[in-house]
Amino acid sequence: MTLLETKGVTKRFGGLVAVHAMDFTEEEGKIYSIIGPNGAGKTTFFNTLTGIYRPEEGEIHFDGHSLVGRRPDQISALAIARTFQNIRLFGTMTVVENILVGMNNRLRQNSFGTLLHSRAFKAEEDQAFQRTCELMDFVGLKNVGDELASSLPYGGQRRIEIARALASQPKLLLLDEPTAGMNPHETDDAIGLFRRVRDELGITILLIEHDMRVVMGISERITVMDYGEKIAEGTPAEIRSNARVIEAYLGRGAAAEQLAEGGVA
Amino acid sequence: MALNSLKQYISKAVGPLQTLTGGRKAIIATRFMVVYLALTSIWVYFDTQNLLAFLLFLASALLIYYLPMRSKAKVVISLVAALIIVPVLGIRNIFYLEVMFQICLFSSLALGLNIVVGFTGLLNLGYVAFYAVGAYTWAFFGSQQMYLLHSIPGSQPLTNAFLLPADAFYLFAFLGLGVAAIVGILLGLPVLRVRGDYLAIVTLGFGEVIRELANNLDHPLNLTNGPQGITPIQRPTLPTGLLDGLRVILNPIVGHSVTLDEFYNLFFYLITLLVILTVVVVVIRLNSSKIGRAWTAIREDEVAAVAMGIPLVKMKLAAFAVAASFAGIMGVIFAANRTFVSPESFNFLQSINVLTMVILGGMGSIPGVIVGAAAVTVLNVQVLQGLSLGLNDLRQSGGVIPIINFAWKDLSSQLDPAKYQRLLFGLILIIMMIYRPAGIIPEKRRKRMPPGSEKPKELDNNNNSAVEAHQEAHHDAS
Amino acid sequence: MKRRNSTATFLREIFRPIGQILLFIILTGLVLSGFMLLLALLLRGSAVDQALVARNNVDLFTYTLSNLPQVLVDGVTLGFVYAAIALGYTMVYGVLEFINFAHSEIFAIGAFVGVEVLTALDGAGVLRSSSTVGAYAWLVFALLCGMAASGLTAVLMERVAYRPLRNAPRLVPLISAIGVSFFLQDAIRLTESLTTGQFYRVIPSFGNFDTRLQLASFPLAGTTINIGIQNKSILVIVAAMLMLVGLNYLVNATKLGKAIRAVAQDRKSASLMGINVNLIISATFLIGGALGGAAGVLYALKFTRIDPYMGFFPGIKAFTAAVLGGIGNITGALLGGMVLGMLETFAGSYLSVYTNGAAGAEYVDILAFGILILVLIFRPTGLLGEQVGQKA
Repeated sequence: MTLLETKGVTKRFGGLVAVHAMDFTEEEGKIYSIIGPNGAGKTTFFNTLTGIYRPEEGEIHFDGHSLVGRRPDQISALAIARTFQNIRLFGTMTVVENILVGMNNRLRQNSFGTLLHSRAFKAEEDQAFQRTCELMDFVGLKNVGDELASSLPYGGQRRIEIARALASQPKLLLLDEPTAGMNPHETDDAIGLFRRVRDELGITILLIEHDMRVVMGISERITVMDYGEKIAEGTPAEIRSNARVIEAYLGRGAAAEQLAEGGVA
Repeated sequence: MALNSLKQYISKAVGPLQTLTGGRKAIIATRFMVVYLALTSIWVYFDTQNLLAFLLFLASALLIYYLPMRSKAKVVISLVAALIIVPVLGIRNIFYLEVMFQICLFSSLALGLNIVVGFTGLLNLGYVAFYAVGAYTWAFFGSQQMYLLHSIPGSQPLTNAFLLPADAFYLFAFLGLGVAAIVGILLGLPVLRVRGDYLAIVTLGFGEVIRELANNLDHPLNLTNGPQGITPIQRPTLPTGLLDGLRVILNPIVGHSVTLDEFYNLFFYLITLLVILTVVVVVIRLNSSKIGRAWTAIREDEVAAVAMGIPLVKMKLAAFAVAASFAGIMGVIFAANRTFVSPESFNFLQSINVLTMVILGGMGSIPGVIVGAAAVTVLNVQVLQGLSLGLNDLRQSGGVIPIINFAWKDLSSQLDPAKYQRLLFGLILIIMMIYRPAGIIPEKRRKRMPPGSEKPKELDNNNNSAVEAHQEAHHDAS
Repeated sequence: MKRRNSTATFLREIFRPIGQILLFIILTGLVLSGFMLLLALLLRGSAVDQALVARNNVDLFTYTLSNLPQVLVDGVTLGFVYAAIALGYTMVYGVLEFINFAHSEIFAIGAFVGVEVLTALDGAGVLRSSSTVGAYAWLVFALLCGMAASGLTAVLMERVAYRPLRNAPRLVPLISAIGVSFFLQDAIRLTESLTTGQFYRVIPSFGNFDTRLQLASFPLAGTTINIGIQNKSILVIVAAMLMLVGLNYLVNATKLGKAIRAVAQDRKSASLMGINVNLIISATFLIGGALGGAAGVLYALKFTRIDPYMGFFPGIKAFTAAVLGGIGNITGALLGGMVLGMLETFAGSYLSVYTNGAAGAEYVDILAFGILILVLIFRPTGLLGEQVGQKA
């Protein structure tokens, strides 16, 4: 079933066309990737999906709802979650608190319950805390619950972001360069994590990535953007051998070799 | 750096105590607390003018908070101190009741401003506007102003009656809360999308507009009586039977017959104490709920907060409304206490007064803000006054300022430290921002992980770990 | 080749701002006058009109029209005062994106130093015995003293209270600036009350500054309407114009100005190009402070009485002017100042009559704050657009 569909989405900044006529679909329960050179408009596209930018033209449909014109918090309520390219954690809050914020939309506390510490309130908070611990285990965060989020190393911070995104029980998870800055070992862990998110939690994933190992390794379909437009789309095998992709994105050098080698499964 | 070596020294001294079991620690702490409280109370009782004694007595509040006693012990000791010792000391020297009243009042205001500035990160320089709204609400309805609507300011009403019975005060305390909250939302709505530093200026503007309105709404309808202010404003009635009964107990202790005004001082102290306790509970509960987390998330990163589904406008308005309501109810109480309001009590200096408390104490930190409020109040009301009196003494002596050989008595009589609050606030703000922006008691995030799953650590936003410091100390020792 | 270019640049940078000044004055004057006259016509025969006739024997339209010239003259003067103060705000904001809340006290310090210098001269009998030209010379001397004091205070302020916070989040230096502002207010008060016990000062009267120059006069409804302007107001206008033109020239046509613009646009790149960023920032504060100090002395000249808290309202209003015109933009400061000054003068003269006494001149301050709030909420980039990093 098509979970996400965009038609002709265009985003302009003054004279600059950042995203041009993007048609994109994603089926439920899949892991897709968007790749492209820096400045291709990938993050901008994400931002239009999540409501940070409003596209000048085009339609976006998700799970039966139209997303264009909705605020980011409204879109989050429709069960789309995301992580950010430059990690945007709540630095002075603890890891647990960061993840709890992710759950904000799902918690049903009202003012009376909060002020009077009703049984329902306490039960929900306890439940939320339980879920947080489960999520921390799921993403591989050990024993750091009460640490300030900003004090964790880079890889840990990325995991917090993912756990925080998962906390809102999304149907679609948008990951913006989730393995940037990770070493190969951490990247392997990440690949495994994404698979588990899809398989165990049933969440559809859309990745922006630069690391070809990740892209080729788990994507069921890859979309290639350049200068704001989709220039190719297909399975990893198809993209690997697509001349235009190689020319536009990978050009010469190590990346091209990586692609030519066929990446790593 | 000096702070760290001081901490190490304290850790070394306290070190052997740390190794005792919880139970023994609690007993020793409790005994220490009782003795400390008794000693300082007695000192204040007998030496009623001594500032140091009073400060040490006040410090017992901090000690109660921080010492490792059992909760029940803390509650009992706090209740005894607040409900028995303070009233007695206060009636001995009525000035102390006034100070305690102001501390409770400003603590409420500071906690309110803390929600907007500390939790949510919105710099509000016009907070005094909500305070004014609350005060003028009761001032208008609790006085005879309604009869003077069409008179020129300064005229006396023709009747002796008041518009409402004095005990409507209690109703208006809640009304003031509500009215201020509404004003808070009205102010917040247009202002929310304005960026940080501009937001500060806009709120400053609003604060000034409210003050100017209070100053000028004396024609065509005389709503506020202009610069002269509104007076007399009623205070709630105190039943004479109760007072006589209390006199029987109190007169021998304090050494004179307790007057009605002194009872009113006591009454207002107790009222503000009740309010501040409620405020603290409300703030703590809000802070540990999804609302509080949403506020802090907005402060940290608005974009990420919205992406997590936090409705920005609603949350910011909620912050404004809650903060305003604290100021509103305190405004009503203030008006009743003073029986007089005028626009001059609600100027920019007052907004900065409260802001200084929040910044000095620790933005976002509940105990910090209360300490800040107490510190600034004491500085304003006692230390500066004390300097004034000290200077007067110097003036009357024949002495000279050393080095420049300038006679003290030649110093102009206009030079009165009590009036130099701006100097004080200015210095505090500058120094805190440069050297300790997190405040005296920085915000502390809540530990949630059950003990045993990890090393217990208390982390504050200065990233100082008490355990680490302790371990360092032990390391040096061994 | 080069020579002709620099002369051309010189002339262009001098006359363009003057042209802009005249344009803004005429534009604002026309718009506001037109608005008031239209309003008067619409209210013809209304209760307000009748009340005025009953009271002063003149109808609304005639009253409006006859007061208009003097209101315009006063409005222009006030506009220049605000523009002069606004320059300091806009310069610092343009370079650092920082509101120097304490600029109002820089302004006050300039006023106090200028007044004290003149008082000292008066005490030495110098002022009384000076000629008219001499009086102007002494005034200029006092002006320079005020500028020096203010400029140095601004540099010191930046060094002590702002530089350590340059990389902190935006609100931190703003709070520090508020602290500096409050501190200086009481510091001025302390210094002034040490000796005489009073902390306000009155500028000694000398020279022919108070003489009113008659511009025109015509009869109306039984009385004569005189339009005039005091010499000191002319002085304020001329001085403010010099400041504006001078600053514009400095920023657009000198090497220092180029460096300032570079730092304003991109601090890191500027330092990579060999510009000493700290020095440039100090220079910015020096210039902005000096201008504020000059504005202070002029203000003292015009309004004669000063006190340590004098900076608060003019400061806020000048900041409003700067934002209204477009912060970071010198022309913007000018336009904003003119608009605000005119609006205030119009309101001060007409509000009471048009509301039949319900709201009088005391609402002028509320009006100014109202404009501030509206601008910051609805058009924070100002009339000319925010040009942080570019000037004029």
